[in-house]
Amino acid sequence: MSLTLENVNFTYPGTTSGVFDINLSIGDGELLAVIGSSGSGKTTLLKLIAGFETADRGRILLGSDDITQLPVRNRQLGVVFQTYALFPHMTAWQNVAYPLKIRKVPSETRERKAVEALERVGLQGFENRMPQTLSGGQQQRVALARALVFAPRALLLDEPLSALDASLRGSMRDEIQRLQREFSISTVHITHDQEEALSMADRVAVMEAGRLVQVATPRELYDHPATRSVAAFVGEANLWDGKTVAHDTVELPFGRLTTEPHGLSTGQPVTVLVRPENIGIGKATDGINALTGAVVRDRFLGAIRRFDLSVGPSLVLGQTGIRGPIDSINIRPEHVRLLPIQP
Amino acid sequence: MRFVTGLYLVYLCIPIILLFVGAFGETWTNTLLPTGFTLEWFLELWDDGSFRRAFIVSLEVVTATCIFCTLLAVPLAYALYRSASKKIMAAARIVFLLPIAAPPLVLAFGFILVFTSDALPWLNSIWLLIAGHVVLTLPYLLQTLVADMRHLHLDTLEQAAESMGAGFFRQFFDVVVPLLRHSLGSGLIMVAALSIGEFQLSNLISGFLYRPYPVVLLQAFYGSTGFACAATVILLILALLASAGGALAARSASQYRTHRS
Repeated sequence: MSLTLENVNFTYPGTTSGVFDINLSIGDGELLAVIGSSGSGKTTLLKLIAGFETADRGRILLGSDDITQLPVRNRQLGVVFQTYALFPHMTAWQNVAYPLKIRKVPSETRERKAVEALERVGLQGFENRMPQTLSGGQQQRVALARALVFAPRALLLDEPLSALDASLRGSMRDEIQRLQREFSISTVHITHDQEEALSMADRVAVMEAGRLVQVATPRELYDHPATRSVAAFVGEANLWDGKTVAHDTVELPFGRLTTEPHGLSTGQPVTVLVRPENIGIGKATDGINALTGAVVRDRFLGAIRRFDLSVGPSLVLGQTGIRGPIDSINIRPEHVRLLPIQP
Repeated sequence: MRFVTGLYLVYLCIPIILLFVGAFGETWTNTLLPTGFTLEWFLELWDDGSFRRAFIVSLEVVTATCIFCTLLAVPLAYALYRSASKKIMAAARIVFLLPIAAPPLVLAFGFILVFTSDALPWLNSIWLLIAGHVVLTLPYLLQTLVADMRHLHLDTLEQAAESMGAGFFRQFFDVVVPLLRHSLGSGLIMVAALSIGEFQLSNLISGFLYRPYPVVLLQAFYGSTGFACAATVILLILALLASAGGALAARSASQYRTHRS
């Protein structure tokens, strides 16, 4: 079922923080990740959708139903909390069966459905275990099974992977994505981990200071960030302030870079974005955007290395699999992105 | 340091040991320790109707105190936990400090003033005695419950239940009450231990028909030493049982929490 937020505004009483002018639509069966730094309003957005907070203005629609004022218990939304919020006095299957118990499903049916739901998340044999005896990953699977067992109208995930070890996160990402696809359920996934958002979501919404800055597919967000802050938040980035000097040239503190025709007027201040993986090693055969400098910082990361090359007054962050010395680089014009300058 | 600790333990234990020795000693007059061995004092205690009755009154008062404390403390602690109002939290702190700020003696004088009037002639009734014990012990149970609620992060669990469709009462009885069973257990044992040993308030407000055990115990000290020791030993055993129960409940609660974290 689709989920739509129309001009939603909310301010925490006695403060100026909250979320403002949120217009967002999540398609049926779509997984939308909401990312942003701490205090950007992403959790508030989830609370508004779940009903833990009520919007001051605007509407939240689930399908065609207006749920803005609907109590939490009547919204029929599956929520997975950051701390999983499993009931510690219930076994795994009792936790999963609880939403069915509330819906007065006969005890035999709910036990069968709970066990089936646990099997679907790969927890067969763990039905009678207490939550505190399960690992973080297993607890999260129980939380997922519990959120999905009553066929909710949409699924809300509040930083579900943040409490897991890094080694577990990768497999749990795949697991969540698999279940989301299997149940074909509209999902809002709140996270501060941009890698998690990019790898899992159909679309990603970036929040900043309570506002949506950009909503786009992961690829579009990475390649064409709307603002400097989005570019900085999503992936590694070289960001330099400069100005246009010709229809295909920008002037930066360390010199001029050739771009693809940008269509901007000459003299316009811009921020230039170049991703580290788009920094070529050595001089380009055509000599375009060739820069020389000295490596001032070199980080070996296994398959790749990341280096900071000092070019004039600026640092260029590059990424390569080449292990030899680096003293010159090049940037292809198509990899030079121009962003509006931010105050 | 170890020597000082040992010395302190001996200082603590000697009166208790002497009570036990005295309770089984046949005669104890002008000697360091009693002579002979007898169970006579316990048999005499059993035969004494006033002690038997006081013992039953004490059990009745303790049971009723525990019931009323539970009925009052659970919703009250929950309301305090859920309240974001600073004024209510300040009021709660005052309630928590009540047993220190208003000792039993002060409370007893207040009860005497209020409940000897023609409008409220309830002094000497067992219900007033129970009410006094509830006032004295409730803050201890409240404190235990509120601390446990904070520790358990109840708000997230309630939100989880609510998101699954549970209304207020379902959340309260399916999530809050079962989760508080350990702290409620240990808190009630503390309430029972306090109520069993309570003397100051009981001595002033209990009537002749409803004197609890500690009040009657005082009279034993006007008689023979062995009898007084035996009577005290009974009270001591009751208190020890309550404390041991409390310790066990607290340990079980802490293991439960350790598993959770």
